[in-house]
Amino acid sequence: MITKVGGFFHFAGLLVDKVERVSIALILALMTVVTFVNVVLRYVFNDSLIWGLEVTLVLFAWLVLLGISHCIKLFAHIGVDFVLNMINPRWCKVFGVITSIICIAYAFLLLKGSWDYWAPFAGLYETTGHWFPTGLDTNTRDRAWYETDQIPMLDFLRFFEPLLNAGEEYEKLPRFIPYIILPLASLLILIRFIQGGLMVLNGKVKTLIVSHEGEDSKTVSSPIKGD
Amino acid sequence: MSVVILFVMIIGLLIFGVPIAVSLGFSSIIFLLVLSDASLASIAQSLYQAMAGHYTLLAIPFFILASSFMSTGGVARRIIRFSIAVVGHFPGGLAIAGVFACMMFAALSGSSPATVIAIGPIVIGGMIQVGYSKDFAAGVICNAGTLGILIPPSIVMVVYASATDVSIGRMFLAGIIPGLLAGLMLMVTIFVIAVIRKMPKEQWKGWYEIFASGWDASWGLLLIIIILGGIYEGLFTPTEAAAVAAVYSFLIATFVYRDMGPLAETNGGIKSTIFSKPSSLITVFFHQDTINTLYQAGKLTITLMFIIANALILKHVLTDQQVPQHVAAYMLQAGLGPIMFLIIVNVILLIGGQFMEPSGLLIIVAPLVFPIAIELGIDPIHLGIIMVVNMEIGMVTPPVGLNLFVTSGVAGMSVMRVVRAAFPFLGILMIFLILVTYVPSISTYLPTLFMGPEVIQQ
Repeated sequence: MITKVGGFFHFAGLLVDKVERVSIALILALMTVVTFVNVVLRYVFNDSLIWGLEVTLVLFAWLVLLGISHCIKLFAHIGVDFVLNMINPRWCKVFGVITSIICIAYAFLLLKGSWDYWAPFAGLYETTGHWFPTGLDTNTRDRAWYETDQIPMLDFLRFFEPLLNAGEEYEKLPRFIPYIILPLASLLILIRFIQGGLMVLNGKVKTLIVSHEGEDSKTVSSPIKGD
Repeated sequence: MSVVILFVMIIGLLIFGVPIAVSLGFSSIIFLLVLSDASLASIAQSLYQAMAGHYTLLAIPFFILASSFMSTGGVARRIIRFSIAVVGHFPGGLAIAGVFACMMFAALSGSSPATVIAIGPIVIGGMIQVGYSKDFAAGVICNAGTLGILIPPSIVMVVYASATDVSIGRMFLAGIIPGLLAGLMLMVTIFVIAVIRKMPKEQWKGWYEIFASGWDASWGLLLIIIILGGIYEGLFTPTEAAAVAAVYSFLIATFVYRDMGPLAETNGGIKSTIFSKPSSLITVFFHQDTINTLYQAGKLTITLMFIIANALILKHVLTDQQVPQHVAAYMLQAGLGPIMFLIIVNVILLIGGQFMEPSGLLIIVAPLVFPIAIELGIDPIHLGIIMVVNMEIGMVTPPVGLNLFVTSGVAGMSVMRVVRAAFPFLGILMIFLILVTYVPSISTYLPTLFMGPEVIQQ
């Protein structure tokens, strides 16, 4: 039974990893194609996709924000590891644990900030508190009617209109859609840092950054284990 | 005073092994929350806007993608063959050819580690085979690779232009002469060492080989003309040029060189062509090679932009606290002349370059020194080139030297051994830095020639 559960998590981990990789590739491809097509349209057809630039910039933000957690999982973020390589293993673990705590705190602050930023755009409540969410602020000014500058509204998203915009039509894509990446990505970052922290605590890894101690730092994309 | 605490905190976190991006971001967030009534929401917003609000930075993923397609797609290999044909017959020929190849690849890619990864594995292996020491080979490539950010296009220049609002086109033009000069200095040094130590030379393969290999490499090298020509003719913005470069190198790699993608699978030693296998026009988009290259480029973009985005938060803190104004007032009060000022800039950047990733450091330091430089009458383009050369040196000095790390991986040596191997050539880069710092016309000649004198806006 236990192995079956383990097998399930292993499979789920592989699936998530595959989804992350393909999303990264796909988003970057879309950014490139949209920008390129706009250049071609301008010279060949004297035309352009008016939403091209804004979509590309949104995709850029999505690529990076979504990818941060993926790279945490792969320990691909760079840092200074020479001190860690010099001190003895016990201190190294202390450093590793402190590092993990700081990273988790960072992700937590980011999550609160992201929620507070996104929530008004989605007609939801901000949290109160300067550092720590202490409750929901029922006086949040509703910003759900904010639209993007140029991105057209997609028809299948019209069901949001009665929910958020008092039934009024969105002419352009409402802002809460591109911005949703903020709370989503922050949550993923928090989860990955907690997972990384637990691995440091169990002694499975030394710290959360790329290590250059070994002889083969070229193999950046090490095989991924289920998580 | 509080700013000093901020910087001490960042360095402290770095030493503990906190990722660079988190060190910058966490310290800035704490600082903002304690000293001002800024909300966490505004920080989340600046993180998002770091990407969505910076059109110039959008060039970065595209340049990274272009260079990924070119190194996996066989452009690097053909450039190396061409360099060996041209300069291989000199004493120390393979080493000189390695530098030459790095210079050409630098003109296609905007990153130094990417240049080392593209050129290093082939050239270092080849040098060891004909009897060079591994250390010499690694040292040469590690240093020559730094030209990646000096010879246009350059990601670091894109970041500088974005941070200071100078024109990317100007910066790219300004990098050409210094880039050629630095490459030449490295080649001459190798030549002298090779003559003294009687290092091996390759056989002169004749003009035909130069022509043949040059023709073969020309598909890749054409990209230089597309990028620079396109920008200066005003055909497209630097960001669009980068996207065009990415698409172009994808087409070259999969349909012309066929070193990757659906046409790379050999059928009895002969690669299929687009005519014998027209289905490849569709399958190429789903091919494992294409997806993998996109993914690898995406991953590089993510780790780099994570740092830049957090550096932008720190920059926000610094401008919020009016640090640049205070620093400028203090320095000008102290009666600094341009020469002393540039020495200070060099020292700050050399020390900072040890601990930081170049683009992140530039985002932080550029706004601090830029206003003073303008006040002292230093050309912003000249200042930019000085900064880029400092970043080059930072890349080959420990503890955070990106080129050291990738060379160690490529050559299969420990980082410490690469540090020692790279050290002698570091001297050349230092001499070059002094030269660039005190002879502004090296940097400003071409931009002034092509685009007229710089108009400095205050």
